[in-house]
Amino acid sequence: MTTTARAFGYVDSPWPVLERMAEAHRRSWEMLASAGEWWTGAERVSVAAEVRRASAMVDGLPDPGPGPAALPEAAVFAVHKLIGDLPNVTREWFDETIASEGMSDARYIELLGVVVHVWSVDEFHRALSLPLEPLPEPIPGEPTQIRPAGVKPHDSWPPTIWPEDLAESEADIYDGAEYAANVRAAMSLHPDSVRWLADLFDAHYLSWTEIRGEQEPFRVLTRPQRELVAARVSALNECFY
Amino acid sequence: MLLGRSSEDDESVNLNGTISNAVDSGVEHGEVLLRYSDAAVGRAANLAEAREAVNAAMGPDAVVDCAATIANFQRMVRIADGCGIPLDAGSRRVMEEWQDDLGIDGFRSRCNTFG
Repeated sequence: MTTTARAFGYVDSPWPVLERMAEAHRRSWEMLASAGEWWTGAERVSVAAEVRRASAMVDGLPDPGPGPAALPEAAVFAVHKLIGDLPNVTREWFDETIASEGMSDARYIELLGVVVHVWSVDEFHRALSLPLEPLPEPIPGEPTQIRPAGVKPHDSWPPTIWPEDLAESEADIYDGAEYAANVRAAMSLHPDSVRWLADLFDAHYLSWTEIRGEQEPFRVLTRPQRELVAARVSALNECFY
Repeated sequence: MLLGRSSEDDESVNLNGTISNAVDSGVEHGEVLLRYSDAAVGRAANLAEAREAVNAAMGPDAVVDCAATIANFQRMVRIADGCGIPLDAGSRRVMEEWQDDLGIDGFRSRCNTFG
């Protein structure tokens, strides 16, 4: 493991990784290492370690080993399901998972936030054949166990917050937008995961503002090129959405 | 979906090219971008070759941008399917226009997306 300060240098990379991407990856590792609302920093790093174990299992690579903290069995299973068996994630499985010992809907969503962001940073490295960044040392701290007051059942499996129900503490998560697409609101039961999503979404793809407007000049692929790749990756994952 | 919206402004884009390599997407350099996407997601042995094809056609900055786009959607699909989110109203309208042609109704996650 390493500290986050010197992470993601890309000095030796043969590819011109933008500094704004490197900075977003460093912020991701800081988020990862810190205590969240429902998991400690050590547990979150262990979730990340499990993401790498699941990936190694799928790829037939040696087991990189567990993280620093023990995780509930259902959490470990969820990580492996989300990485290696995505087409078979179902409503029934979701309901069973959040009802399992050591889990809840909020703990599942925070876990999902860690899984998808660590996986995304790692996948960027794999696509460029760069070594994976060592996982960070956990930052001490206790989960806040704060559940947003405005969450309600909507159309997704977990409850979510719509813009009109945002409280002051999470008022920033949709950047003031009056409407949030379902994929943007999906993890709003854990607002920091929505913030994390926006940060890495901007670094890797487009900002939410660019989605419905012009893309920034530093983006290289055109919109059709970008979205062709997006559609193919979704199809390869058999994702209907 | 996003490509469907792009195609509204660009009639040369063929959405079937997102699913089948036998169909030209009509997107400039689409063939090398798709080959790189396939290799990265599929952990293919030809990853370096596919990446180099993008580099040769579009340059190293495009390789990084494409890698980032791949990484982004490796994330987004897991959020969508991990939360069982339904299609947004606007997206549903776009999707209904071309989902039959794409042959994606067989995807397991369809029942989640359409509820």
